[in-house]
Amino acid sequence: MDDITTQFEQCLRRHLRLVKPDSINYDVELVQLGLDSMTAVALLLDMEKTFNIRFPDDMIVEGTFRTARALKKAVQLLRERQPS
Amino acid sequence: MTRALPDRSLGSEWTILELLARGIVDDPERQMVRDLLLTETLEWGELLEQALRHKMLPMLAYRIISAGLRFDVPRSIYQHLESALDWNRCQIEIFRRETVRVAQGFAGRGIRFVVTKGMAFESTLYGGLGTRHMNDIDFMITPRDREAVLSVMRDLGFRPFFEWAKDPRREEISSRLNPDHLPKLARDIDQPGTRTINVDVANSLTWTRSPFDVPVEEALQGRVEQPVPGMPGVSVPCFRPTYQFLFTVLHLFREAWLQKFVDFGSDVGLMKFGDVIRLVDRDRDELTGGQLLRIMEANNVTHAVAWVLRHMDETFHTHTLELLALERHGDEELLAAQMRSSGYVGAWGQSMRERLQSKTRGSLRPVAPPHSGS
Repeated sequence: MDDITTQFEQCLRRHLRLVKPDSINYDVELVQLGLDSMTAVALLLDMEKTFNIRFPDDMIVEGTFRTARALKKAVQLLRERQPS
Repeated sequence: MTRALPDRSLGSEWTILELLARGIVDDPERQMVRDLLLTETLEWGELLEQALRHKMLPMLAYRIISAGLRFDVPRSIYQHLESALDWNRCQIEIFRRETVRVAQGFAGRGIRFVVTKGMAFESTLYGGLGTRHMNDIDFMITPRDREAVLSVMRDLGFRPFFEWAKDPRREEISSRLNPDHLPKLARDIDQPGTRTINVDVANSLTWTRSPFDVPVEEALQGRVEQPVPGMPGVSVPCFRPTYQFLFTVLHLFREAWLQKFVDFGSDVGLMKFGDVIRLVDRDRDELTGGQLLRIMEANNVTHAVAWVLRHMDETFHTHTLELLALERHGDEELLAAQMRSSGYVGAWGQSMRERLQSKTRGSLRPVAPPHSGS
């Protein structure tokens, strides 16, 4: 599986206005980086389009995107499960 | 308390709709709306467009017909309005039957619920005249009954339906992340004029992550049975007056305050205020007895309710803040501060009257800058 880090972080930056320009803390809660209920929807949609995946119903829960690490793990899992 | 007649600064067309929305209750109002409808310079295109935007075509039609103005209205416009009223009456008949069908399904599974909004109001606040426009049928349940309700609705032929939105996938994700409602549910029927019945089931009086709320379990206690017109001996449960008022006002607040409803083009309209005005008129005794105030204070919703009533009083010349002893509440800045914790931020900087009339609300944004959702 190729490394998705660059695309993943670009995607995060498009939606989280409080992300620092130089680095992303993967363990801080995304709400502290500017995520709210509307940007959460936009972020998941963007991840789906960027990586050609579809979040199943049971993964559309707050735990999936509580932190950047959790979200990246979910995206990687879906890319493995749903190869394009 | 008498209400001042509206000023005509926003045009005769708008004044007509403001009068109809708040309800024609005395002769000066009756005469004013009649005079305005007979104004030679009245722009029927503007009147129809705004009536459509505010879901008031059936009500406008009824007023013109009942005032005997058939031959004073351009013929083609009269025919269109008459059709709109007839269609709405047919739609309401269909919705009444379907409401009873769903209600019996819920009751059969022991689900506690109430019927809300249009179906609860059309035969009571609007006298069963077919003047209350309806898009769908609305219910309120408790969060713990979500799965049971979905099961009943599937058995009744309904399916989750997201295609009503411009971006169905966005709506689907949003619905799952904001479980204050079930996904919209739809059932196709073989009826001319009404191809689909939509049902909206809420399980919160506010919204997911709202900084304030009124517990649904509490609101569903002491429900009242409301007869269904045309179906002798059949009734459906509705909120009792204090909670009916709270639900209706908080629902209006949600649609008026949250940006996403502006973005969807489905935020507050004249008739939402019309519902509140009629509720206050009908349930005045229950609402002023002190219980409502205690419930609002206990659940921290006083400012949100007062915000709605303040805008309503300023727009429609009603006196509800005074009536409900809420004159000190409803401060816009204080409310914005209260809302910040939920990630929904902003104070609307224009008058509600201007906002209601505006046809470009999609470009509106709250005055305050966005704030961290932490």
